[in-house]
Amino acid sequence: MAGSPTTYAADTEWAGFVENATYVRDGVGLSKFRNTGQAEFSKSIESESWDNIVVNGTLRATYDGVYDLNDDEFGKDATQPYLGSNWHGQDLSTALLTAGTPFPCENNPTLCNNLDGYMDQDEDEAKFPEFNDELDFIRELYISADRQLDSGTIFNVTLGKQQVVWGKTDLFRVLDVINPVDYSRHNIYDELEDIRIPQWMVTAEWRMGPTKVFDDSNFSLVWNFDKFRPSNLGTCGQSYRILDAGCFFTSSTLGVPIIHDVEEPDWDLGNTQFGAKWEGVYGDVTFSLNALHYRQQLPSLHFRANTAFDPTAPLSPTNAPFLSDGVFDIKFPKINLVGGAIDYYSMDMDAVWRLETVYTQGEELPRDTNGHKETDMLRYVVGFDKNMVIPSLGTGSAFLLSTQLFGEHILDHEADMPNEEDNWIGTLLFKGWYMNNRLSPQIIIAHDVAAEATVVAPSISWTPDNHWMINLGLNVKTGGDQEFPWSATALAGQPGINVTEPLSRFTNGPIGVANQEDEIQLTVRYSF
Amino acid sequence: MMFKKSLFSVAMTGVLAAPAFAATLQDVENSFYPYKNGTPKVEGVSAGMVINQSNVETVKDVLDPAMYQFVKNGDYEIKVGETTSFDLHSSYVEATKAGLGKVKLGDKPGIIEGAHAGRPFPEEPSQDDPRAGEKLAWNYKYGYNWGDSAAISPFYWKYRNMKSGKVERTVKFNFHFLNYTHRTQQEPYPALTPNPSSLFRGIYVQVLEPFDVKNTQLLIHRFEDDLKRDNAYLYLGFQRRVRRLSTGQVTDAFLGSDIMIEDFEGYNGRISDMNWTYKGTKHMLLPMYNHNEMELDADTHKDDEGYQVVAFGGKGGCFPNITWQLRKVYVVESDPVDPNHPISKRQHFIDAQTFTIPRNITYDRKGDMWKSWLIGQAHPDHHLPRNKGTGVAVDDAFSMVDMQANHCTTGQFKGQVDPKLSPASKFTVQNLRASGR
Repeated sequence: MAGSPTTYAADTEWAGFVENATYVRDGVGLSKFRNTGQAEFSKSIESESWDNIVVNGTLRATYDGVYDLNDDEFGKDATQPYLGSNWHGQDLSTALLTAGTPFPCENNPTLCNNLDGYMDQDEDEAKFPEFNDELDFIRELYISADRQLDSGTIFNVTLGKQQVVWGKTDLFRVLDVINPVDYSRHNIYDELEDIRIPQWMVTAEWRMGPTKVFDDSNFSLVWNFDKFRPSNLGTCGQSYRILDAGCFFTSSTLGVPIIHDVEEPDWDLGNTQFGAKWEGVYGDVTFSLNALHYRQQLPSLHFRANTAFDPTAPLSPTNAPFLSDGVFDIKFPKINLVGGAIDYYSMDMDAVWRLETVYTQGEELPRDTNGHKETDMLRYVVGFDKNMVIPSLGTGSAFLLSTQLFGEHILDHEADMPNEEDNWIGTLLFKGWYMNNRLSPQIIIAHDVAAEATVVAPSISWTPDNHWMINLGLNVKTGGDQEFPWSATALAGQPGINVTEPLSRFTNGPIGVANQEDEIQLTVRYSF
Repeated sequence: MMFKKSLFSVAMTGVLAAPAFAATLQDVENSFYPYKNGTPKVEGVSAGMVINQSNVETVKDVLDPAMYQFVKNGDYEIKVGETTSFDLHSSYVEATKAGLGKVKLGDKPGIIEGAHAGRPFPEEPSQDDPRAGEKLAWNYKYGYNWGDSAAISPFYWKYRNMKSGKVERTVKFNFHFLNYTHRTQQEPYPALTPNPSSLFRGIYVQVLEPFDVKNTQLLIHRFEDDLKRDNAYLYLGFQRRVRRLSTGQVTDAFLGSDIMIEDFEGYNGRISDMNWTYKGTKHMLLPMYNHNEMELDADTHKDDEGYQVVAFGGKGGCFPNITWQLRKVYVVESDPVDPNHPISKRQHFIDAQTFTIPRNITYDRKGDMWKSWLIGQAHPDHHLPRNKGTGVAVDDAFSMVDMQANHCTTGQFKGQVDPKLSPASKFTVQNLRASGR
């Protein structure tokens, strides 16, 4: 073995936590009794040919006891009186659609088969979400290594199951779209760190450092070679299901299942996803330019028209505008994205401005006719962050004021799209620290303009020592009142009337659709 | 009459801003080797003695007002050691000689011309010089400090209740420092290139423990232009992204400690943010010592090379168990330009040989004593073997006592003057992302 690189491993560092999150929902009772154990390890490996070789891993196991402790409301037997009863009243649309089927794979083999592996968890998989075929208890496992180049710059390769984060935006995903997201854990409200679904990827970075022009410059490539996984919106019967999509997908009309098939792309080289980023620092500005070829992580519903439909004949499963074995197929189209982000420190204002924007081609948005339409999209976020010492509030620690305006523009908008051509969501975070930063109150407010929906989430966190953390919060929402005309009402002789299902879920958005999910939330964590 | 006086002041400022009192090589010699002809002697103060409640009145003149108060209250006892010379690296002395007569203050505080490396104003300060305090502040800013680069790895901060002695929280860091300019010893010097934004200094901080703040990283870029605010970047582990920080809030209690960002190393703001006043030169006791001869704390840190950090004791465990020595000290006061600043002034007790600031007292807006800053300086030849001969007065133990809240934050260091630990690549925004994964 003479001449071979010498390699030896240093000690492995371990850290982690155990945590209980107990949430109680107004009028419903227990909505979460999540018990999580997470362990993170890092192991450095010395080598003569590469530097900073590190193996990182994150293991997570969760048991959510809500399905055992509140099985009237959540779980395989938690039926609903009508579709959307958890966020709106009854109308003609709820007469035309059946209630969703909780955990369809435990109640309806046909629906289970139609969903074909997408959002078709059984109750045990909701209780123990990491223990599935994708081995999600291995949240991350990757190796990273640097190589010093003759030019004095650094080349880095990172390979493994990982999260790759782009962008500068809180709460929203504009550039941060490489990993899909598990919204079933707690809608949009958990840290993205905890709900991104890690993917098997390789990244290659060329860290150029300072140049004659830039104070820092870095070019990176990312290749997501994992089998495509869409975002998890929450199966019907779970306590968090964004847009209530999970129940709509397990509904039926005229006895015909809403979903006929889910066309998740197989693993194939052509189905892998890849992107590039150049980022740097120029004076008081930091910037990035990004490009990504990926797949839409939210489902696109493709209508299955029945060309033999006879509107003059009586409606039946076999004589309906749609095929008798299912109304829609779910697809996940390919998208090309270009975008970028900059932030700038204004010395005069002593504040930071952030701008992040993307332009996409290939996205499919819901519409009444045909279920979807492909359209180019423009999204942007303008952020403003300021740290302020406010002596009158009784602490020497600076408060953080962070506001954002998230905008979305649909370039090929149609009148039968439930999403507005332009819409905005504003957010505000105000966070303070007391008692040597061990007591931290904060409030988050978000308002969706088109949905006329608002969420207010005040919380207070207490860290008595290096191990314990207790967080008590409220999450209160308003909205969910928007309606949208559904052409199917014409079949009942009432064309053009405003109804709730199925399209207004998009108008009301994730805040409005969760309008009856006001909660008090207690989290206790012990870190080691 | 008032108008005439103002005109006179302006004229004098202009005259004094130029190198009217051109320093000489003898000034350089006196500045860097003040104990060449003997160590300070003060009646009643001798090496080996312990200053406590019983004898503090007899040595009151060699203590700053806060330490006098602590000893008088029985909060702390001061052990006196021999005065030793902390010779800075010869390259810094030579750079000072090379810059003689080339440095002058600008028209207003915060502007300096001709200062490329070394001590800008090696001459003795004069009470007759209205800008003497500002010159001493520049000597501190461009001091040899940690040398051209260094690391504190690891660095333990303990948040303590001074009444009960309870350690409420322990945060373990790595700190790294790098001078982009004013370099004298580590290659390349005098400056790193390329440096398109004319950075003067980089500070990189990484939190190792506890878990809730693990992987938090802070990068500060300080510019050559003192009038420009720092650029600062924060990486939060749970967000996995770099946030820009507004840096004007230098009175923020850093990570909830008793230390304002502005307090770091004795003073960590812009020269132009303060009015500087030279109050005099005297012999005083300062916390400067040989690390290897002090009481050490193996419970907090002990590693494979046998290094241990300095132990703490006194009331609430807020004071390092170290020795103090008589030193030549410049007393300087700084009061904030901003009328809304939460303090009225700081008293800085600057060690004349090293231009470190081992003692500070901060006064609140009412003028009452508020905080007491202590940073123990260890001689590099009696510390880690690799620090020997570096000429760096090694920051080795700090204490910030909030005298009004009866609370303190203490720091225990493993200071390492080793350029391999602080390469320029560590002080980039990209490094935050790469290290925080």
